Amino acid sequence: MFEIEVLTKEGFKNSRGEHVLSDIYGLGIEDITNVEYSTLYVVEGDISFGEIETIASELLTDKVAESYLIRRRDAEGNSEVISKFSDTKETGRLNHNFSVIEVWYKKGVTDTVSESVIKAVKDLGIAKKIKVKTGHKYHLYGKILQKTLLNTVAKKLLANTLIQKYKIH
Amino acid sequence: MKYTTKCETIKILNLSNEQLLELSKKNLLSLSLEEMKVVRNYFKKLKRNPTDIEMETIAQTWSEHCKHKTLTGLIEYTEEENGKKTRRIYNNLLKETIFKASIELNKTWCLSIFKDNAGIIEFDSKNGVAFKVETHNHPSALEPYGGSATGIGGVIRDILGVGLGAKPLANTDVFCLGDPNMEASKIPKGVHHPKRIMKGVVSGVRDYGNKMGIPTVNGTTYFDDGYIVNPLVYCGTMGIIPKNKINKKVEFGDLILVVGGRTGRDGIHGATFSSIQLDKKSAVSAVQIGNPIIEKKVLDAMLKARDLNLYRAVTDCGAGGLSSAVGELGKKIGAVVYLDKVPLKYDGLRPWEIWISEAQERMVFTVSPKNIEKIIEVFEKEDVEAVCIGKFTNDKKLTLTYDGNVVANMDMKFLHNGIPKPTKRAFYKVSEEKIQKPIEMDSSEISSSLASLLADLNICSKEWIIRQYDHEVQGQTVVKPLQGNNIEISGPGDAAVIFPYTVIKGTKKGIVLSNGLNPQYGKINSYKMAASAIEEALRNAVAVGADVRRISILDNFCFGNPNDPEILGSLVRATKACYDVSKAFEVPFISGKDSLHNEYFINGKRYSIPSVLLISAMGVIENVENTVTMPFKKNGNKIFVLGITRNELGGSVFSKISNMKGGAVPNVFPSESKDIMKKIYSAISENLIEACHDCSEGGIAVAVSEMAFSANKGVKIDIDAVNIYSHLECESEGGIRIMTPAEILFSESNGRFIVEIKPNNEEKFKKILGGAVFSEIGYVSDDKEVIFESKRSNVKIQQNSEFLLNSWHNTINL
Repeated sequence: MFEIEVLTKEGFKNSRGEHVLSDIYGLGIEDITNVEYSTLYVVEGDISFGEIETIASELLTDKVAESYLIRRRDAEGNSEVISKFSDTKETGRLNHNFSVIEVWYKKGVTDTVSESVIKAVKDLGIAKKIKVKTGHKYHLYGKILQKTLLNTVAKKLLANTLIQKYKIH
Repeated sequence: MKYTTKCETIKILNLSNEQLLELSKKNLLSLSLEEMKVVRNYFKKLKRNPTDIEMETIAQTWSEHCKHKTLTGLIEYTEEENGKKTRRIYNNLLKETIFKASIELNKTWCLSIFKDNAGIIEFDSKNGVAFKVETHNHPSALEPYGGSATGIGGVIRDILGVGLGAKPLANTDVFCLGDPNMEASKIPKGVHHPKRIMKGVVSGVRDYGNKMGIPTVNGTTYFDDGYIVNPLVYCGTMGIIPKNKINKKVEFGDLILVVGGRTGRDGIHGATFSSIQLDKKSAVSAVQIGNPIIEKKVLDAMLKARDLNLYRAVTDCGAGGLSSAVGELGKKIGAVVYLDKVPLKYDGLRPWEIWISEAQERMVFTVSPKNIEKIIEVFEKEDVEAVCIGKFTNDKKLTLTYDGNVVANMDMKFLHNGIPKPTKRAFYKVSEEKIQKPIEMDSSEISSSLASLLADLNICSKEWIIRQYDHEVQGQTVVKPLQGNNIEISGPGDAAVIFPYTVIKGTKKGIVLSNGLNPQYGKINSYKMAASAIEEALRNAVAVGADVRRISILDNFCFGNPNDPEILGSLVRATKACYDVSKAFEVPFISGKDSLHNEYFINGKRYSIPSVLLISAMGVIENVENTVTMPFKKNGNKIFVLGITRNELGGSVFSKISNMKGGAVPNVFPSESKDIMKKIYSAISENLIEACHDCSEGGIAVAVSEMAFSANKGVKIDIDAVNIYSHLECESEGGIRIMTPAEILFSESNGRFIVEIKPNNEEKFKKILGGAVFSEIGYVSDDKEVIFESKRSNVKIQQNSEFLLNSWHNTINL
C-alpha cells in the first residue's frame, strides 16, 4: 500500500493553509501561527513502485507549484518515505513545533476524487485494479498545541465528523 | 410471497395505535398515525404483513417531500382581523390558490405547468424553456458542501428529466444563512458556525455548477439569525427544450433503464428526513455526496439519445430514489423491478436500501425493447453505465424482486392515491400595522445611515460569492450579476439575461432570470411578504428589459412545522397573496416546491425558521439587444423615479439597523405597478432608457447610490421632487402626514424604479409613461459626489461615491 502526499512547493502561495489559518483566528484561537496543507492519496493494489511514481508525478502533482512524497505503508499503519520530488522535506518546511491533523472519509461515504483518480490511472495506461482513498493533511505550527485545542480545530473547521474522521499526531 | 433472508416482514397487522406510531418513528418512516392505520388496513385486506421494502416504499411515496401533503391536503383556516373571525375550508390549498391562478390565466405560451419535473414556457415557435428551483436545506445543515452540491446537481437533473430532457443553460442559487461574523460562543452546541456553512454551501454550488459547465447567473443571500441552525439552500436551473420533446409516454412492455451513478447507502431516508425536525442525532446516511463529472457525462449522452429518439420517457432519481422515479413513471400501468440488477457501489445493501437510496447522478429511462441495445451503446460511448433493471407492465401493480424472489407487491392505486387526507388547522391573526413616529434625522445622521445600509449584510456586495461562480461559461450570459466600470467598481445587477445563440442558431431572443424574497416582511405580514416577493422578482426582470406580459414565476416555500396552526395560517395567507398577485399581474406560476418542517430544538425548546417564500421569475424577451444595466451611463443625463413612495418602513433594512418600532410593511398595488412595468418595456424597446434599477431594500437612497458608485459617477437628487403618497392623494385626509426626508429615502415601497434618460429622449419617454406616476428627481454629475437634498426640510446629504462603494463592498470577505 502506498501513500502519496502532494504539497505546495516553497515560494508558492499555500492558499488553502492560509484560509484555514484565517478561519482558526476567526474561532478566537491565536496559538497557531501557520498552517500547511497537503493532499493525501492511499493507493492499494498490485501496483509497482515505478507505476506509483508515474501516478504521483504525472497525475497528482502540478510540477510547477507542487511537490510530492511517496510512502510505503504496512498493515499496522507504519510508513516510510521511499521517494520524493527533488528536495521535498518530509515534515513541513518550518523548523518549529507542529502538530498534524489528518482527515479521512468514513467508510461507506462516496469519495468522488478517488473515483476520478481510478479512472485517470486507467487513462494513464496503468491497467491494474486499484483502490484509492483520499485525505487531507494539515500541519499546524505553534509553540505547544494542546490536544483539546487541536480537537476543536479539527471538529469546527477541518472535519465534518458526520462523514469524516480525523487523526491527530 | 417468498421472502429472502435479506428482506424482513414487518408485523403491523395486530399493532395498537401507540405501537404503530412507535414503528413509524423507529424506522424513520415519518408516517402519521392516520397513515399507519391506512397501511395496516390495506395489508389486513391482503391478509399478510408488509415487507420492510413495502413499508419503505409507502413512506417514500407518501412523504411530504414527494406528495406535498400539506399544500394538497384539507385545511381548516381561520383568519382574525380587527376582532372579526372568518373561516374557510381548503380541500387542496395548492389547487385552490397558486395552481388556480395559472389555470384561470390560461396563457397559451405556458407549455407544461405543475405536472413535470419543471415548468416549461414557450421560447420560440420550435423551442420551450424550462425552469425549476429546489431546496436542499436539511442536507446542507449537516454537510454544507455536499448538501448544496447535491442540491444543484439535483435541480440540474430535474431539467434533464423534464419532458424528454432539456439542455441546462444557467443555474441560480439563493441562500438564507446566519451572520457569518457571529461570535463562536453564541452558536448552539453541535451546530456548524454560519461562516463554515456559508463557505461550504458556496463552494458546493461552485464546484458542482462550474464543473458541469453551467453558469451560475442569478441569486441572493439573505442573512438572519433565525437560519443559524437550519440554513436554507435554494438551487435553480433553466434549460432549453425542443417543443416536440415535451411529452413523455410510458407503454406496456417498455424497459426500465437506470443510467449514471451507482447506488450506495448514501442519502437513505432523505425524502422522509425532510419531514423531520433537525436535531443532533440526525442520520448519517442522510448525507449525499455529489459527483459532477458523472452527471456531465450523463447530460451529454442523454441529449444524444434524446435526439436519436431512443427513449419514450425519462425522470431523475431524486428524493425517494428509484422508488420515486419508477413509481412516478409506472403509476398508471404498473412496473416490475429486479433489484439485484441495480449496479451497486459496494456489496451488502439490503433490497430496501437499493430501492430508496438517494445516491446521486442517476436517471431512469423508459425504453422500447427495440431501442435498448442502441441506447446502451450511446451511453457506453460516453463511459456512462446504463443497466436495464425491469419493465413496465399492465397489471397496475408495483412488483419488486430480488434474486428471483418477490419482495414487494402492491397496487399502484393504493400507493399513489391511498394516502389519507388529514385535516389540518390553520390560524392567522392579521396584526395592525401603524406608521411609525416621524423619523427626524439631520443630514449627518441620514448620511451615516446610508453608509450603514449599504454595508448591511442584506444589501452589501455578494461579490465574494458571485466571483467564485463561473457565470460566463457557455458564453451566453449577456447581462451579468455584477455590473459596472470594471472589476473593482461594480454594482448589483437586477437580473441576468441569457442569449442562447449557440443552442438556437439565428435567434435574437433572450431569457431573463431574477428572484425576489423578503423574510423580514413575513415576520409582520405574510401576505405582504409573498406579494412583495412576487413584485420584486418581476421588477428585477423588468429592470433589465423583460416584458411583464411574458414572465412566468416559480414558488418555493420554506416554512416551519405545518402542524402548528399559526405557521400553517401564515402559509395559507402567503398562498392567498400568490393567487391575488399572480392574477392581478397576469403572471402565471409554472412550477414550485415546498419545504416545510424547517424547525429545530435547542435545549428542548422549539424554534422555527423565519418563513420564506422565494419567487423566481423567468421571462422571454424578443431582442437581447434591448436590455439595460443599472450603472449610470453619462454625466448630465436625467434621473427619474417611477412609482409612488409610501411611508412603508415596516420590516425594512432601515428599521432593523435603527431599531425602529412599528411601521407599515410595503404593500403591492398591481394596477399601478403593472402599468409602469409595461411602459418601461416599451421605453427600453425604443432604446430610451440608459440605466434602470429596481428600488427595494434600502429604498431610493440605496438604489441611486448603487447606480452612481457602480459607474464611478456623482448624482444630485432633489428629495422634495419624489412623488410621495401623501402629496398625491391624501393631503385632505388629515391623518396622513408628509414624509420626512429619511422616510422618503429609506422607505421600501414596491412598484418603483430609478431610470436614467438622455435629455433629448425626455419628451418621448414622458409620452410613453403617459398616465403613470413618475417624477424627475435629479441628474448624473461628473464630480463623483452623491448628493440628496431637501430644501423644504433643510437637509443635504453628500457622500463621495467611492466611499459609498467601499461601504457596500467590504462587508463579506471570508
